[in-house]
Amino acid sequence: MTLRAQVYEALGTVYDPELDEPITTLGFVGSCVVAKSDVSVRLRLPTPQCAPNFAFLMAADARAAVLTVAGVRSVSVVLEDHYTGEEINGAVNDGQRFADAFPGETAGDLRALRELFQRKALLARQSRLLASPATTLGELSGPDADRCRALRRALGIDASDDAPAFVTGDGTPVAASDVRFRRMASLTALSLDTNGGMCRDLLKTRYGEEVAA
Amino acid sequence: MYEKDGEKYFVLDGHTHFWDASPANWKPGAEEYAKGWIECFHAYMGLGPPETHWTLEHFQKYSVDDFEKDVFEDGHVDMAILQSTYLKEWYRNGFNDIEQNASILDRFPGKLILNGRWDPREGEAGLRQLEADHAKYGFKGVKLYTAEWHNGSRGWKLTDPEAVPFLDMCADLGIKNIHVHKGPTIWPLDKDAFDVADVDHVATDYQSLNFIVEHCGIPRIEDFCYIATQERNVYAGIAVVVGAHMHARPKFFAKLMGELLFWVGEDKMLFGSDYAIWEPKWQVEGFVDWEMPDDEAFTDYPRLGVEGKKKIMGLNAAKLYGVEVPAEFQVAGTPADPTAAVGVEG
Repeated sequence: MTLRAQVYEALGTVYDPELDEPITTLGFVGSCVVAKSDVSVRLRLPTPQCAPNFAFLMAADARAAVLTVAGVRSVSVVLEDHYTGEEINGAVNDGQRFADAFPGETAGDLRALRELFQRKALLARQSRLLASPATTLGELSGPDADRCRALRRALGIDASDDAPAFVTGDGTPVAASDVRFRRMASLTALSLDTNGGMCRDLLKTRYGEEVAA
Repeated sequence: MYEKDGEKYFVLDGHTHFWDASPANWKPGAEEYAKGWIECFHAYMGLGPPETHWTLEHFQKYSVDDFEKDVFEDGHVDMAILQSTYLKEWYRNGFNDIEQNASILDRFPGKLILNGRWDPREGEAGLRQLEADHAKYGFKGVKLYTAEWHNGSRGWKLTDPEAVPFLDMCADLGIKNIHVHKGPTIWPLDKDAFDVADVDHVATDYQSLNFIVEHCGIPRIEDFCYIATQERNVYAGIAVVVGAHMHARPKFFAKLMGELLFWVGEDKMLFGSDYAIWEPKWQVEGFVDWEMPDDEAFTDYPRLGVEGKKKIMGLNAAKLYGVEVPAEFQVAGTPADPTAAVGVEG
């Protein structure tokens, strides 16, 4: 595998925290250039006014992901055409925090925000698994189940094979037949899917038809 | 008035604008924001049917004649609410401030409802302005835009202590319809700007006020639905749900409608075209024609009949704004008590 392919694969592990989808499939990676061992990534979003906090997380996560690839010496991540691009690019490429990018405009770091959306993502993912009769996580398989495991691990919720198959956003075990849980899970999934669809449409309007699937 | 299959619909468009986003109105030093904002809106127009798209130049500034044709002549709209959006840090005279909106009132007597606005960060001066605007125009509603920039601040929340005197004043003056529009920025920036939890708090505290959450809290419709089931006085403004989805993504539109009908109910949903982002004509016609799909994915959702459509197209908003609607447009029986329109228990 070429270094560029490895770098692109690493970018595929970066999720839009709000949509729970990889930035590569969303079309947010405008370009990825590898010159010897120096990487340059350009990110682009559906609108110039996309929320700065999520934009920062994606840019910082992209940088961190590329730096884990063996053979990469340096990486530059540039968020294009965004109204806080200058602040975000400066801080991300210096390895600084969100608060450094927006001094005086934050009350904390972005951990709580990320966690909130991981809980929503977990709820939404489970809505696609509700048809399964599984009672333990080990009985669930496929991409959605794998993503549930990753989200549970990130949130400190038991992700072992013996753990309960379904949990609420805060990790409380719940039966797949629980009507309230089913309703909330499908509503949250609809919300994420709708937002993802709108982001795709707006990105296409902004950058034309060449945008990835 | 819109008539289809022998049924007459009183159309009260709950969300329209008369804006000026032309380059002449861009504030020096903030051109990039002013340009970015209107181009983003223009991209949303792209989600409607192709034959309804405008050029960017036309979209930046349209005339009162365009408004008349698009909204009242072709758009089937009987009455329209003009919402004010200031954005004065980006647009010299504001995007569509109350004076700009008011400039077309005389042209359409009895057909326009003008809404005001306030911003808690303006403090005492803002309170006096709200009082003066209300004395001049006597509005019954305001539109609040929480992502507005103001003196280095990039947003605010309804639960900010500075908002209390403004909400009190609304209650005192009978400005009972509070339209809430969430945008991409809020203080502090590390919080979710689209969070609608602040609406929940103030809706509980101000029982005499109605809170109409514009575009149903999208991109946080799940949180909005949950709040709307708990609070008697929280309503769904369905602009954007219709404009951005009914044509572009009909299956998503059907599901969004299904969730709203289940959680919020047809007595608490208000139609809005969000003109000039989208023209009302195709939205009114399409909405009246729309039926919940029959396939299995939609069996969990309530159905929307002619009565429900009449309520959403205008009767619900007419009730909130005290508009008398002729008998020919009314539905049989009294509209249900809004508190009964709750899908599941909290």
